[in-house]
Amino acid sequence: MEIFHVIPYQTYDAFTNMAIDEMLLFQGTPTIRFYTWQPSAVSIGYFQSVNEEVNLLECERQGVDVVRRITGGGAVYHDHYGELTYSFICPHNMVPQNIMESYRLICSAIAEGLGTLGIAAQHAGINDIVVNGKKISGSAQTRRQGIVLQHGTILLRVNVEKMFSLLNVCAEKISDKQISSVKERVTSIEKEIKHFTRDEVRNAILKGFSCCLNLSFIDRKLDDLEMLQVEKLRNKYESKEWIFKR
Amino acid sequence: MRVKNGFLKGEMKIAGGKFIRCLLRQKDGIITKVTFSGDFFMHPEEIIEELEQSLQNVRLNVGDVQKIVHAAFSDTELIGVSPDDFVTLLFKTYEKN
Repeated sequence: MEIFHVIPYQTYDAFTNMAIDEMLLFQGTPTIRFYTWQPSAVSIGYFQSVNEEVNLLECERQGVDVVRRITGGGAVYHDHYGELTYSFICPHNMVPQNIMESYRLICSAIAEGLGTLGIAAQHAGINDIVVNGKKISGSAQTRRQGIVLQHGTILLRVNVEKMFSLLNVCAEKISDKQISSVKERVTSIEKEIKHFTRDEVRNAILKGFSCCLNLSFIDRKLDDLEMLQVEKLRNKYESKEWIFKR
Repeated sequence: MRVKNGFLKGEMKIAGGKFIRCLLRQKDGIITKVTFSGDFFMHPEEIIEELEQSLQNVRLNVGDVQKIVHAAFSDTELIGVSPDDFVTLLFKTYEKN
């Protein structure tokens, strides 16, 4: 049985959240972290163009931060009240070498955990978790110096209109018809089970990891030294140079 | 499509749902600058910058570009996109303009 550190629940801004994930990636200690974003934020994938993907004026108007991730994938709106984010960090030999296989393992563990809440979730596509074909979670992974970081979202409740107002999608995509089509393709914990707490969702996901990957957990907080490293990394995530990298 | 600073812009939706965009500046058929963006995955990620650098000052000839792109990605795991998607998009961007 492998022992993982669990950082139970944290709320930080986008730059600090991404800095913590990177600090944990370079530290390499097997860790599962749960967090939310305050203020709400848009994160874009490593390869995305911020000007192309994000409505920067609208983000500023609504007080929504914009950050570039170190992981690939698409732009995501992280609503403070509508999402629980997780990160999973471990040495690469604890998960399959093949990236697709490792997505399958980690996403299946989360799906298994959601199952304990009565949600029939399953891994789908490259990095999604779906319930009756509707997306409830998306993830992105990177690997550095033998360490794997996968972070992803668990949708607690969805606000498609707000998401469309912050992301640059072509006019035809934000028509009422398209919005309702996205609503039909996305679900959330709230839609599936109505009554829940964030702690219940977090504990369910940990159950999934414990069951599928045979893990046991030790809760811990980040210490002062780690937060000092986070502060340094945070400067990168907040810099125009990083955000406007492409 | 011609965008700011003499850059040509091309976009491509890939089967499977991923998306790549290319910004290309060229002079007399030689690449002076190219950047790729999109929602794909690449491990390690920094190879994209190496690829963009390697393509600078290269003649827009399919064989030459293909060789450089495949060499850049030789030890890279691409998810949602293939080396040839980058080549196809680059020439689509150039030839469309």
